[in-house]
Amino acid sequence: MIQVKNLVFQYPKNDGPTLKGLSFEIDKGEIFGFLGPSGAGKSTAQKVLYKIYYDYQGSVRVDGKSLHDWDKHYFEKIGVGFELPNHYLKLTGRENLDLFATFYPNGKKRNVDALFEMVDLESDIDKAVETYSKGMKMRLNFIRAIQHDPDILFFDEPTTGLDPVNAHKIKQHILNLKAKGKTIFVTTHSMETADQICDRVSFIVDGELVVTDTPKNLKSKHGKKAVKIELANEQSKEFPLKSLGENADFLSFIKQGEVRRIHTLEASLEEVFIQVTGKSLKS
Amino acid sequence: MQKIIKLAFIDFKLIFRDPSLYTFLFLPTLLFALIIWVVPYLVGKYDFLEPYVPLMLIVCVVENTQMFSFISSMVLVDEKESNVATVYGIVPFKERQYLVSRFLFPYFFTVLLNIILFVVQPFYHFDWMNILSISLLAALVVPLYALTLNIIAKNRMEGLIYVKALNIVVLIPLVAFFVPGEWSHLFGVFPTYWIFKSVENVTQGISAGLMLGIGFAFFAGLIWFTSRSFLRRHFM
Repeated sequence: MIQVKNLVFQYPKNDGPTLKGLSFEIDKGEIFGFLGPSGAGKSTAQKVLYKIYYDYQGSVRVDGKSLHDWDKHYFEKIGVGFELPNHYLKLTGRENLDLFATFYPNGKKRNVDALFEMVDLESDIDKAVETYSKGMKMRLNFIRAIQHDPDILFFDEPTTGLDPVNAHKIKQHILNLKAKGKTIFVTTHSMETADQICDRVSFIVDGELVVTDTPKNLKSKHGKKAVKIELANEQSKEFPLKSLGENADFLSFIKQGEVRRIHTLEASLEEVFIQVTGKSLKS
Repeated sequence: MQKIIKLAFIDFKLIFRDPSLYTFLFLPTLLFALIIWVVPYLVGKYDFLEPYVPLMLIVCVVENTQMFSFISSMVLVDEKESNVATVYGIVPFKERQYLVSRFLFPYFFTVLLNIILFVVQPFYHFDWMNILSISLLAALVVPLYALTLNIIAKNRMEGLIYVKALNIVVLIPLVAFFVPGEWSHLFGVFPTYWIFKSVENVTQGISAGLMLGIGFAFFAGLIWFTSRSFLRRHFM
C-alpha cells in the first residue's frame, strides 16, 4: 500500500536533514507504528506522506503511484488525526465536522451523530469547541480524520491528552478500523500504545530507522527466555524456560513455600527500545 | 461551488461570534454618516475645507476597504494560530478555490460599500462606469492586505501590530497631494496611490482610465505574488 525508499527531508532553515534515508513498507490492512522520542522525525515523516511537505528526496509510492503524481484526490483516500487539537474554537463540534465534510464526496461520509456517539461526545455535539477539554478536542480530531471513511489513516500520537479510559477506547477504535481493512500509520512515543495496536513498529532515532519488526518479535528477541518465581517468603529465583518441567532446581524451589508470582522475563517494548537505540523514549 | 460558499458562510459565522471582529462591521456606517452629514456641514461652514473634499472622499473610499481587510486578516491569522490551516492542507480542495472562498464575499461586499459611498456622497455626480471600476479596484485592497499580513504575522498579537503598520501604508499616498508636479508619481510604488489618483481624476472630470489600468495591473501582480507566498506557508 505504502512504499518508502531512501526518504530524505530537510527543513529549509536547518543545517542537516531531519529524515536521513528512511525505507519502509506498510501493507494494506496493517497498523504500522513509528516509535521514537520527541524530535526523532516521526511527525515529519507523516507530514511527507500526507503531502504537507513535498520537497523531499527518495521515493514514496502509495497504491503503486508516486506521491508526486497524486493530485487532490489523494486527500479523499487519506485521513489525518493530528497530534494537537486544531479546530475552529468559535464553532460547535458539529459545525467543525460539517465544514470539513463538505470537501469530500457525499457517498462515503459517515453519520455525524454516530461519530460523536462513538467517542462519547454526543451531549457536546452542539457546544462551541472552546468549551471542550483537550481530551474532547483530541476525540474530535479522531472522528474528523475518519468521517469520510478513508482507506489510509495517519494518527500522530493518537492517545496524547486522553485519560486512560478514552485512550483505551481510541485504541479499540483504531483496531476496529484495521479490522475493516484500513491501512494505519501511527506515530507515538508511547510504548504501551505501540505494543497494543501495532502489527509492526519501527524505532526511529535522529531521523534514522534503527529496527523494524513486530512488537512480539522485538520483545522476544531482546528479552530473557526465563521465568522468575517469587515466593510468599520474599525469596525469588530465575529459571531458564528450556526444559523447565524437568529442571530439578525449579521443581525443588517451588516446593519451598507458597508461590506468589510467576512471570516471564520478556522485555517490554520500552526496554527493547533502550537496548537497541541506547536512548530513552521520553527524551 | 458548494465548498466555496460553505467556507465563505463559515467565515461569517466566525465573524459574528467574535466581538473583536463584528464590531468592525459598524465602520462603514460611521463613514457613511461622516460623508452624508458631517463633511457637508463642515464644508458649508468653513470654506477653506472645500479644496480638500476630494481628499476626504478618497480617504473614505480606502477606509471602506479596511473593515474587511482587518476582518479577513484576523480570520486567517486565527486559523493559522489554532493550526486549523493545516487541516485545509489535507482536504481535497484546490488552493485557488481556497483563496476564492476566503475573499469572494469580503471583496464583493467591499465593492458594494464603495458603490453606496459614491451614490450617497453629496459632492459629485459620478457615472456608473466610474463608480463600478473604482469600487472594483479599491476592493482589491482587501485580499492584498490580508495576504500580506498573513505572510508576515505568525499569530494574532503580531497581526494586530502589523495592522497598525499596514493602515499607515495604505494611507501614505495621501502625501502625494501635497507634493508638487510629477514628483507625486513617486508614491506610485504604493498600490493605493492608483486608487487615489483614479478618484481624484474623476472628481476633476478627467478620464481615470490610465490610472485604473495601472491600478488593476499593479494589484493583480501583487496579489499573484503574495498569494503564492501565502499558500507556501499557510498550510504548514
